Amino acid sequence: MTSRIKIDPISRIEGHLRIDAEVDGGLVSKAWASCTMWRGIENILIGRDPREAWLFAQRFCGVCTTVHALASVRAVEDALELPIPPNAQYIRNLILIHHALHDHIVHFYHLSALDWIDVMQIPKADPVKTASLAQSLSSWTRNSPQEFKSAQDKVKALAASGQLGIFANGYWGHPAMHLSPEVNLLGFTHYLQALEFQRKSNQVVAILGGKTPHIQNLTVGGVANAIDLDSLGTLTMDRLTMIRSLIDEVIPFVHDVYFPDVCAIAGMYPEWFDVGGGARNYLAVPDLPNESGFDLPGGVIFSGDLSAAKKFETAADPDFRRAVTEDSTRAWYKGGALHPWKGKTRPEYTDFQDNGKYTWVKAPRYDGRPMEVGPLANVLVGYAQGHPLTRKWTDEAIARVSAVAKRKATVDKLESTMGRYAARAIRSAMLADLAVKHCELLTNNILNGDVATHNPPQFPKGEVEGVGTHEAPRGTLSHWVVVRDGKLANYQAVVPTTWNASPRDSQGQVGPYEAALLRNPVADPERPLELLRTVHSFDPCMACACHTFDTDGREIAQVKVL
Amino acid sequence: MRRLLIAGIGNVLLGDDGVGPFVIKVLESQYDFAESVELADLGTPGFDLLVHLSGADAVILVDSAKFGGRAGDIRLFRKEEILRIPAVARLDPHSPALRESLSQLELMGTMPGELLLVGIQGSHFEPGSPLSTPVRECVPVIIDAVRRELHRLDTWCEPKASAGIPAVWWDQNFKQREERICACYTSD
Repeated sequence: MTSRIKIDPISRIEGHLRIDAEVDGGLVSKAWASCTMWRGIENILIGRDPREAWLFAQRFCGVCTTVHALASVRAVEDALELPIPPNAQYIRNLILIHHALHDHIVHFYHLSALDWIDVMQIPKADPVKTASLAQSLSSWTRNSPQEFKSAQDKVKALAASGQLGIFANGYWGHPAMHLSPEVNLLGFTHYLQALEFQRKSNQVVAILGGKTPHIQNLTVGGVANAIDLDSLGTLTMDRLTMIRSLIDEVIPFVHDVYFPDVCAIAGMYPEWFDVGGGARNYLAVPDLPNESGFDLPGGVIFSGDLSAAKKFETAADPDFRRAVTEDSTRAWYKGGALHPWKGKTRPEYTDFQDNGKYTWVKAPRYDGRPMEVGPLANVLVGYAQGHPLTRKWTDEAIARVSAVAKRKATVDKLESTMGRYAARAIRSAMLADLAVKHCELLTNNILNGDVATHNPPQFPKGEVEGVGTHEAPRGTLSHWVVVRDGKLANYQAVVPTTWNASPRDSQGQVGPYEAALLRNPVADPERPLELLRTVHSFDPCMACACHTFDTDGREIAQVKVL
Repeated sequence: MRRLLIAGIGNVLLGDDGVGPFVIKVLESQYDFAESVELADLGTPGFDLLVHLSGADAVILVDSAKFGGRAGDIRLFRKEEILRIPAVARLDPHSPALRESLSQLELMGTMPGELLLVGIQGSHFEPGSPLSTPVRECVPVIIDAVRRELHRLDTWCEPKASAGIPAVWWDQNFKQREERICACYTSD
């Protein structure tokens, strides 16, 4: 029997990710990823001053504000071949690192942990046993029986009230949930603690950026932060000390809570290292520029072959500039495959057609191939190049997972649903180390007497093209600009979720979500928890949400027997 | 000291969805507030709402809403009413929003003591479009609702001695069009 599952949480007035899957004999046989709203938001920028583009780009998405702001200024700087001073680089890097840490912590605990943790099992847990389990995993100071007891009491109170609130529509008791009550309690307790630490990470962004969620300190050519160690209202030694003390609080949460939690839970669900491998082509751009290169390596891998990985030497490698196209064959636009500088956004809406057009997302391709982007790509590209920091944390994760699962895990197993969770934790552990490094680079550079933060831009007559890249929390982001006589003549953003939620293309090649969903098990089509696990492993963000408050709550999954 | 937050929610690039941030710009330029009152344009924050709402004594939110009214209709929601709406499932980080964030705050024990949502029914959400006429015309009513709530909360806001032009940077035509009618935002 074949059934068709449609997952479409139409909870806002427009625009969301929709997943359709055909399930045959308990396994997904076909899948489609669709975005339900056209934004065409880049068109707003055409004709504007390139120096103010980042203010608008920052509003493309409410969750990923900072990353679009940064990619936008980098695109204009690339077009002008305008270097930025070291202080500006380090300040931007610190903002990026802390935005990413905040985002990864929220993704694991608040957006996806409850796909794995069964909250309704928590009342059965023994807080003392939970504490001894937690203490065997790490030296975190807040793993006491009292801490677990107090979290358990919250769940008991909710269950007793009959008002489950945020937990009202979880897939509790689903056959694919099989952690012990103690592990469920452990994960949930850290879910509560995580709020505090994602917030501290965000505070670093606010101190340097002036405000969150919309930072105010960027400028084409650098940053607008004034540095004067003796003057209030600028970046002073006091503020640098404040940033350092926040970093010193966030790092233990990442290294002693988030990272060990993911490794332990992954080890208890080892079957999820065999599910959800996707396109098997990976793309990451180098990021976090330092004095001599980049602290996060970039490159491409095809067909999962790490031995043939290609390294990118610059933020926008000549190959990357040349190889990217967006194909509209199966998306609701006119035209075929175009390079982003030539990109056009001309809508051509049909209905959802399984064998025709079915989404507002174009299909980005790299030399014609679909590419997965995100922490998994980031980690595999670094691992393939022998990047020491990537190797250090990947090897540590593999050792921890192997110990819990009592079977040998290997790096190729990362190409899976659970591997994406592990990769995000590995990347976070790396970023926590790099937070200290870049804070020290900034402090030392200032102490050495360099206070420059900005190089003024000059716009030539005629036309120049640029691309700004950023390895964002969800993967490779690129903004492509054409500047003519000092005004924006074209603007295209190729965002991480466009790569991952890509539809089929003119060759019929499926996108990464669609590939990852194939052969996914589905025990109960009415409660497709397994599909959510794989989709959530990518950390989807359609960047097209229109956040109107809606008074209707709706069912998430509709199932129909074919 | 008490902490009171007035926050606009919405995407300023999507027509009427930007009414919340628009109202914040009007309030900032036209009124003085008690020291404990903080104004913020929060964009479309998903779960990041938690960071801003957590531990506030009172919150007033201004957001476009869908409640079956006509464009420019206003409806007030208290937190108890919002919490009765079923929470939605999570597919991406945009899915959790106000309702889900409030449940989360309840669980954390950092729920604001008071919360009022001033919901405005919108009609036009095209990228790059300004507020529709009915929504723009209801701005004085929204401001009145905000001022009444501040009064109820035993704090104050008063028209500035010399009011400026709201810093609506995302609308190129705003300045010339709105200068004439700014006066209506402060008339009682």
